Amino acid sequence: MGLTQDLTATALGNQLFVGLSMAMILFIVTSGLSFILGVLRVPNIAHGSLYMIGAFSAFSISRLLGGSPIGFWLALLLAPLVVALVSFIAERALFCHLYEREHLMLLLFTFSLMLVLGDLVKMCWGADYRSISAPAMLRGSVNLFGSPFPRYNLFLLLVGPVVAVGLWLFSSKTKIGKIARAAAVDREMVGAIGINVSWVFAFAFVFGCFLAGLGGALVAPTISITLGMDHDIIMEAFLIVTIGGLGNMWGALAGSLIFGLTQSFGILFLPQFAIVFPYAAVVIVLIWRPKGLLKSVW
Amino acid sequence: MAEKMCTMRRGFFLMGWILTMSLVGLSFILLPLKAEARNIKVGIIDCYSGPPAVYAKGALNGFKLALKEINKKGVSGRKIEYTTRDTKFKVGIALNMAKELVMREHVDVMVGTINSGAALAVSETVAMPNKVPFIVWISKSENITGKKGNRYAFSAGENTAMAGKAGGVALAKKPYVKYWIAGDDYEYGHAIGKAAWKNLKELKPDVKVIGESWWKPGEPNLTPYITAILSAKPDAVIFCTGGRSMTNIMKAVKATGMAKRVPMWIHTGIDYGVDKPLGLQGPVGVMGTTDYLFYYPETPENKAFDKAYEAAYGDHPGFAAFHGYITAQFIAEAFRKAGSLNKEKFIDALEGLKVKSPVGGKIEMRACDHQAVLPEYFGITATSPKYNFIIAKDITTLTGAEVMPSCEEILKERGK
Repeated sequence: MGLTQDLTATALGNQLFVGLSMAMILFIVTSGLSFILGVLRVPNIAHGSLYMIGAFSAFSISRLLGGSPIGFWLALLLAPLVVALVSFIAERALFCHLYEREHLMLLLFTFSLMLVLGDLVKMCWGADYRSISAPAMLRGSVNLFGSPFPRYNLFLLLVGPVVAVGLWLFSSKTKIGKIARAAAVDREMVGAIGINVSWVFAFAFVFGCFLAGLGGALVAPTISITLGMDHDIIMEAFLIVTIGGLGNMWGALAGSLIFGLTQSFGILFLPQFAIVFPYAAVVIVLIWRPKGLLKSVW
Repeated sequence: MAEKMCTMRRGFFLMGWILTMSLVGLSFILLPLKAEARNIKVGIIDCYSGPPAVYAKGALNGFKLALKEINKKGVSGRKIEYTTRDTKFKVGIALNMAKELVMREHVDVMVGTINSGAALAVSETVAMPNKVPFIVWISKSENITGKKGNRYAFSAGENTAMAGKAGGVALAKKPYVKYWIAGDDYEYGHAIGKAAWKNLKELKPDVKVIGESWWKPGEPNLTPYITAILSAKPDAVIFCTGGRSMTNIMKAVKATGMAKRVPMWIHTGIDYGVDKPLGLQGPVGVMGTTDYLFYYPETPENKAFDKAYEAAYGDHPGFAAFHGYITAQFIAEAFRKAGSLNKEKFIDALEGLKVKSPVGGKIEMRACDHQAVLPEYFGITATSPKYNFIIAKDITTLTGAEVMPSCEEILKERGK
């Protein structure tokens, strides 16, 4: 039925931008996951939980500041820091003892951590559905090609590239970024030249989780903040990381774009089967390039 | 000497014998008395973890509030006590918990749950074979009292057939012809959509569906769906969403300004549980239905119920709390009427029983299908100076008789 409707340029253009804005959130979250995978070689299933904690923290912070516009911006800034703090504690207390273990152990460990964090969120925030609203300037919609486009999604389209450029500058221009990349390739060598690998790992982990928190805080105004958010995102995030190439930042971007765009165009063309499109794309990519689109650091 | 020992032994033996017999005799006299005085045991299985917990908690709070009153007076000299089990929204756990409640706790009545799959499974594989009554209080699956109904299953809340019919009846009065149907790709979503469309089509044969979209339950980003629907230019949209998708769809409707462009009906779009977290950022102009509103009808009973609930739990009651409250009423009244703890007598008593509704008037438990006869309220979202969230205005009430499938339809369904 969807195919018979006249597909105007308007609809296509609108769908393109909506898909892109979706991809931005996915990118921010998965780039963090990919970074941790690349440097620490930890498949962090609890990444989704940190994303959820980011959203819940954003809710609490903006509520604490009376829901004012400043509250929202501060929440956007502080919520990822809360997540960073949580992840720092987790890294120093738990992860740092486990890096030498095999992958299955790490998988089981991060999976159980996801369950623990999920219950902690329930204890801290309860089971209610939470919601925060964006400041007035980001509410409502603007006209894009003659049809409405949410302002907040426009904002996401700006934030995404900023984060991408920031990540690129960080990993290729700063010393710590370079060390982290080197540790991703050969951690023994990095250790051998006298760099404290343990702290590099701690930093990389916290940094990756910060991005999860940022994603959670950014997505908060558009959805209901609730338990179960962690499960929603982690599946998609792992798929994106896999098709992009494990540990490759630009791969995460490419994967997110594929995921977001196939979904939004799928919705336009064949809405009944929209759920299938991103997964079909994943299958095609993996058949074509079993190791992911871009070079994996593994 | 040996003989003496023997006689002494015989004396002991005799004494022991007498003692035992008298104890047995006494217990025959005392035990039934004790059994008669024991409390009514209600076993609650529901999801107290994960996102659905908010509804399960609401229902339990409503139930507890009613029990406070009921236990002051007692039910034929008994009190109602309850025990809860967490299903974690899993059918398997729900079944184990239900079996445990029946086998070990020997509950007189089971109550539950928000998960439709679990409710149906408990009804068919625990309640029916063990002959234990089971009252469903949140799940909206029409199959519980419809196609898969049985003597032991009851529903104290609205179901998808009722909600869909309410939407269909209300939409039939509107001038829209071209419809788009969209919603959560699971049983609840499809059931609401099917029921709404069946009734709308019957009342207004010229309506047609120009497209459908279904997303996974809880899909966080619904904006692309909405922009796609808008570019198809339907006259109206039927959204079949539930649970946390409700907040997501309401937010997406607000962000895209959709409500200003296309009229839409979303069951529970006017529900308090949905509109409260949105605050004043909830979209205005969305048509919705629900079977309970704490601010409508404005009867003294409803106001008193709202006040009592707020005093106890610091929040207004939602539909789940309302269902929990009437479930307790049904249990108490049916046991009063039955006059004993006999489960079959309880069921006979509950069939056709009328209890006082917290909004005023009476609510009947329909005898033919064990479905509570509840009205549906149809309204449109609007802001109000009284509340810091959107509420329903222009409310019309569709009576239970109007929105429920007839007994004949139900029996025909079950016969199939």
